[in-house]
Amino acid sequence: MSPFDHEPPQWAIKFLKLYCKPRALEIIEGDAYELFYKRIEAEGLKPARRKFSWDVLRFFRLRYIKGLEDINSLNNIAMLKNYFKISIRSLLRQKFYSAINISGLAIGLAACLLITMYIGHELSYDNFHQDVDRVYRVANGQAGAWTPARLGAQMKTDFPEVEAVARLNGPFDQTFKIGDQVFKEARGFSADSTINQIFDIQFIAGNPKTALNRPNSVVLTQSLADKLFGYQDALGQIIKADGQNIQVTGVVADPPKNTHFQYNFINSYPHEEWITIGNWTGNGFFTYAKLAKGASPEQIHEKMPAFIREHLAPMIIKYSGHDSFDAFLADGGKKTFSLIPMQKLHLHYSHMALGSSGSIDNVYIFSAVAFFILLIACINFMNLSTARSAMRSKEVGMRKVLGSLKGQLVGQFLVESITVCFLSSILALGIASLALEGFNQLANRNFNVEDIFNTATLLKLFGIMLLVGLLAGSYPAFVLSAFKPITALKGESQATGKGSGFLRKGLVAFQFAISILLIVSTVVVYTQLNFIKNQDLGFNQEQVLLVKNINRLAENGTSFLNKIDRIPSVESRALSNQYLSGGVSDWGYQTVEDNPRNNSFINLFATADFLKTMDIELIEGRGFNKDLVSDTANILINEKTKKWLGGDVLGKVLSRGDGEDYTIIGVVKDFNHASLRRDIDPFIFRLMGEDGKTEGDWYAANYLSLKVTGDYQNTVEQVRQAWAETITDEPFEYVFLDESFNSLYAEEERFGQLFTASSGLAIVIACLGLFALAAFTLQRRYKEIAVRKVLGASVQSLTFMVIKSFTLLVLIGALIAIPVGYWLMKEWLASFAYQINLNNPLIWIVPILVVAAVAWLTVGYQSIRTATSNPVKALRSE
Amino acid sequence: MGRVQIGEFEELVLLVVAILNDNAYGISVMEEIQSQTGRKINISAVHSALDRLETKSFLKSEVGGATAERGGRRKRFFKITVAGQEALNAIREQRNKLHDQIPSLGLKYVSI
Repeated sequence: MSPFDHEPPQWAIKFLKLYCKPRALEIIEGDAYELFYKRIEAEGLKPARRKFSWDVLRFFRLRYIKGLEDINSLNNIAMLKNYFKISIRSLLRQKFYSAINISGLAIGLAACLLITMYIGHELSYDNFHQDVDRVYRVANGQAGAWTPARLGAQMKTDFPEVEAVARLNGPFDQTFKIGDQVFKEARGFSADSTINQIFDIQFIAGNPKTALNRPNSVVLTQSLADKLFGYQDALGQIIKADGQNIQVTGVVADPPKNTHFQYNFINSYPHEEWITIGNWTGNGFFTYAKLAKGASPEQIHEKMPAFIREHLAPMIIKYSGHDSFDAFLADGGKKTFSLIPMQKLHLHYSHMALGSSGSIDNVYIFSAVAFFILLIACINFMNLSTARSAMRSKEVGMRKVLGSLKGQLVGQFLVESITVCFLSSILALGIASLALEGFNQLANRNFNVEDIFNTATLLKLFGIMLLVGLLAGSYPAFVLSAFKPITALKGESQATGKGSGFLRKGLVAFQFAISILLIVSTVVVYTQLNFIKNQDLGFNQEQVLLVKNINRLAENGTSFLNKIDRIPSVESRALSNQYLSGGVSDWGYQTVEDNPRNNSFINLFATADFLKTMDIELIEGRGFNKDLVSDTANILINEKTKKWLGGDVLGKVLSRGDGEDYTIIGVVKDFNHASLRRDIDPFIFRLMGEDGKTEGDWYAANYLSLKVTGDYQNTVEQVRQAWAETITDEPFEYVFLDESFNSLYAEEERFGQLFTASSGLAIVIACLGLFALAAFTLQRRYKEIAVRKVLGASVQSLTFMVIKSFTLLVLIGALIAIPVGYWLMKEWLASFAYQINLNNPLIWIVPILVVAAVAWLTVGYQSIRTATSNPVKALRSE
Repeated sequence: MGRVQIGEFEELVLLVVAILNDNAYGISVMEEIQSQTGRKINISAVHSALDRLETKSFLKSEVGGATAERGGRRKRFFKITVAGQEALNAIREQRNKLHDQIPSLGLKYVSI
């Protein structure tokens, strides 16, 4: 058999043909084949085939690998180079327009870049946990955050699908004492020892399995351990936390930014029955569950009714007063637990997300803002490019005469627009880095410059850049490439056609519309904020100082209060278990009637002077008397509660069940105790003893409210001193009540800032475009204006003529913006119980005037300059 | 003539091309080097040396001579140029000059 009947390995030949320069291919292939045939005879087929492949691989050298010029035909590359050169030249020739074009687009891209980074971050929450798709949060009902202590353990026992469960409490603050140093640390949690099966917690020291097994253990993050122990070994150390000795059993890495479980330290639970076995009554825990591989939450949901009937029915019947569980169900009673994927917690269930403050609405709003700003920037870009087309008409004509196809011209202009986009992107990176600080404040996140310059973000920017370049570039490209060569070469402008002028004006009007919309939003948000901040809350929150952590004073409480009483500027004081604006819990009460009615009421324990301290007006009956011990069985209600009860309420009784009855002795005026997003709630005051104790000897005085007259700052100083004299291992913490109320609107405040920033940006970008466009239009109408002037038109009327056409565009924009804005703002205001009146014409007229004024200033300056110039110059320039 | 920029392996290839005269292409050069020096070399190394020498214009080449052994593909035949010959001569002269300067001291001992 002749050696020529054999073939070398096909893959090697294919590979060679793939990479090898066509010029060298034949020679290399020839040599390889010749060697192959020779080797078959000398060494046999197998080694020959192997050596052939090896040779081919050895030829894989830079020298023989195809270059760019081998992939495309040389002509295309040369043209591409030429396009690029022409773009740079035309950019440099008109530096003013180019600068405006590039900087406008850069601002838009920078905003867009920051927002895509934000959105990417928001969507990445908790994705890094191992098996995150199997981890669920157990919700009470459909989305209740708190679950019974027993739930997790019982689910694990009953459902084979549940692989691991863990309970969690927090976040809370805790005071650590090391030696005589006191640290108040936030973001603390208590958790079961199984917590590391649910979350990825990276242990640096200590055993992950046993770290939280024993009571009085704590796991610290690295940064907290460094802070507490000054970079010394923390493991095994004993610290005093809230007065108790606890041991550090683990040091873990700080949690990454994108998890809803942001811990500083994790305590173990005490080993007491209510924890280890746990009850079904009372919902005091967050429960997380991890399902086994292949199990779905639906399987659990199906088994839930039987589970509820088995374990919870007795408890439900006891509290609902039904005869049987079936009667409870027949009455429309509902009880269930459901599983929520952990990844959804941050954005979709923020009330369950341990304070990570995410919101899918924010993601949408930010996306919309990014989109609008980018849109304005793109419109600018399109307008400027088409407006300048007359400048390029000769070039286009010449290219066509020399044989350019339309497609090639389109390609050329696309290359130009992508070049501009590229330059803008680089500028955008700089702008974004500078604006990062402000953006962090708007988004309530903590990005740093590295986040901008990481690969993922840069890739996104690159994508946006290409998209904008192609989209914004395509319209000018098609307009310019459609020029007819003869008219183009004659120098006649072709962009005067009705169509393109109309489109350009439409786009400008649209820009105005977006600007007006954003300004309207800003105005509405701030008016609303101002409105709710100045709203009469029904009590006087001014001049009230609130001291926190009174319960930590323990037996020294009385001596502290005595010291407070000696400060002359303290007009009155009151202890309470919770405070207004700080979230007051609701308790269920029922009426004592033939058909008892249930309702939940906001329930506050306070000492007798609370009404006086807060300036809450009593309108019926009497207030609490601190000398009457029997008053602990009496309550005060507000008007809303009275309305619910109906009729004459004094002397009526509300019951907590089991004979816990309370007699109403007075009615106070309605007041708001929380954000004005909610309406006034029915409220019940219960009396707290002067020693801070409530029913059942339960010490509940956590907060001390002080009504201050005169010098505020001095009083705070005196109270601080009294505190320091009383207790050494607890820092003095206080807040002013009015500030605490205002801080309820931090989210709205950020919202307002976001709109201010974005409307500012929108106006700046739109103005840049308008300025360049006006300059351009006037340049084209230079002669027309000169002729008009010669024929007797005044500077005034000429300026007015130019401004008029732009004003019309503002009005068209307003026509689009107002209905959309009205609808959007109505939606937003719907979340407030107290709203401003949207029909106030000022809300709508002011933004239009602002935009119009900006437009007039931008256009006016140039039109006056043109109108005052000497007409001779214009007419002579032929 | 300026300094000759040429590597050891290139010099070897250049010499072999000069020896082979009319029949110098990739494989013949490789085989000649193998048989003359016993060095195992890969064909790709020979190719890139030939290419480098051509860009330095010590070699010129033409394409031709398709045969069945190559599946009908042509060869690239190389020929040494005048510059190539001058380069070889220059190198040789330089070497000789250096050799001549070795003191005869060593030789004495050898001769004992």
